[in-house]
Amino acid sequence: MNRCGTIFTYSVVHSGTDAFKDKTPYVVALVAENQGISLARVEGYTEGKLINVGMEVEFFAEDENGNPIYKFI
Amino acid sequence: MRSVSVIGIGETRIGRFPERSLRDLIQEAGEKALDDAGIGRWNVDALYTSNFNAQFLCGQGHIGPLVSEVLGLESIPALRVEGACASGSLAFRQALIAVASGMYDVVLVGGVEKMTHQPTEIVTAGIASASDMEREVALGATFPSIFAMIANRYFHEYGNVRDEMAMCAVQNHENALLNPDAQLQKRITVEQVKNGLPIAYPFTIYDCSLVSDGAAFVVLAATDVAKAVSRKRIVEVIGCGQAGDTLTLASKRSLTTFSATMNAAKQAYAMAGIKPSDINLAEVHDCFTITQIINIEDLGFFEKGKGARAVAEGKTAAKGVIPINVSGGLKAKGHPIGATGLSQIYEVVTQLRGDGGERQVRNAEVGLTHNIGGTAATCVVSIFRGR
Repeated sequence: MNRCGTIFTYSVVHSGTDAFKDKTPYVVALVAENQGISLARVEGYTEGKLINVGMEVEFFAEDENGNPIYKFI
Repeated sequence: MRSVSVIGIGETRIGRFPERSLRDLIQEAGEKALDDAGIGRWNVDALYTSNFNAQFLCGQGHIGPLVSEVLGLESIPALRVEGACASGSLAFRQALIAVASGMYDVVLVGGVEKMTHQPTEIVTAGIASASDMEREVALGATFPSIFAMIANRYFHEYGNVRDEMAMCAVQNHENALLNPDAQLQKRITVEQVKNGLPIAYPFTIYDCSLVSDGAAFVVLAATDVAKAVSRKRIVEVIGCGQAGDTLTLASKRSLTTFSATMNAAKQAYAMAGIKPSDINLAEVHDCFTITQIINIEDLGFFEKGKGARAVAEGKTAAKGVIPINVSGGLKAKGHPIGATGLSQIYEVVTQLRGDGGERQVRNAEVGLTHNIGGTAATCVVSIFRGR
């Protein structure tokens, strides 16, 4: 079974820092997994997609700092 | 501890002044505050300055001696305090403690920030450094997106307050129309706020405070000294509290109540010996519209979950039961980060002196300022009373 978490809260970023301005719009979220909550990026957002608190997302990778990146299922 | 009072205030207009230098902003606000206090430079015992980001945005560090040189304060002790958006009130609190302790009789506190000469991406990166670079910014989180996550969680816990958030912006813009120092003097509507340029859902550009240049200064004196020198109504600092919280959003116990605000307010109310209902007006840290709603709950003006309704009912408007941000707040007066906490004090002292002109709050005797830094990771709450 794939590793999953649930969205505790989220935002769709439209105005990013220089390093991310080509990725907009993209989603950042607090994701709950195994009683812990981490800040994460959630890949696979497309304009108009409905997101809600409690939604399941699938673990995708870690970034170079060990931060989790998830993707929409 | 000795009683301490504000005897002088001065600020520049807050706005977009890319052509003005740090020196220029410092000189105008600093000289205004010293003139307002009616004291000579030789009476100032020490200088506390606040600045968030000149090292990144202007390449300028060592702000203490810069201010000292510009204002001709020569060899007095000078230092800079940094606590992101709370820098100004942190410097104020350090100065307050120094005078209250008896170490100094008269202290100058000054904040300055220069931001608008840089492009948006640079400003965004600069502001983002108030959060965690490795755990938040590296993932793509911006400062607005962090507070947008707080807003979405608030919606989940207490219901969707999108319209009421927009009303905070509308009211602050309305208030700024009467403030000659405000950056924006423009009436806006709830629909405009909701349909503005998207920044970080659910925020549009109208939910975010402004990028600003400006400086604000305050002169503090032991109240005994203040009585001897001041020609204006003396405004006593009757309460002041400071509290912290974790840096990152993910590590906070609650996203919809800021524990730093709760703890700083508790200290300030206890020191002043008063309760929230005794406050006649407050300048609260509206870095984003949701923050204003959370603040007025955390400060005890309204029950948790009821702040949005209070805004909709006009209770926080200029003529409401507890006028909030009659200056226009960070949203419309502006947010020159390192100066903001002192700019809030400027407004409250102006009101308590009865010098508010067209925007004067009736029966203003006790006022409060609330200033947070980062993701509510630093908070200072101060309470003032006219004597």
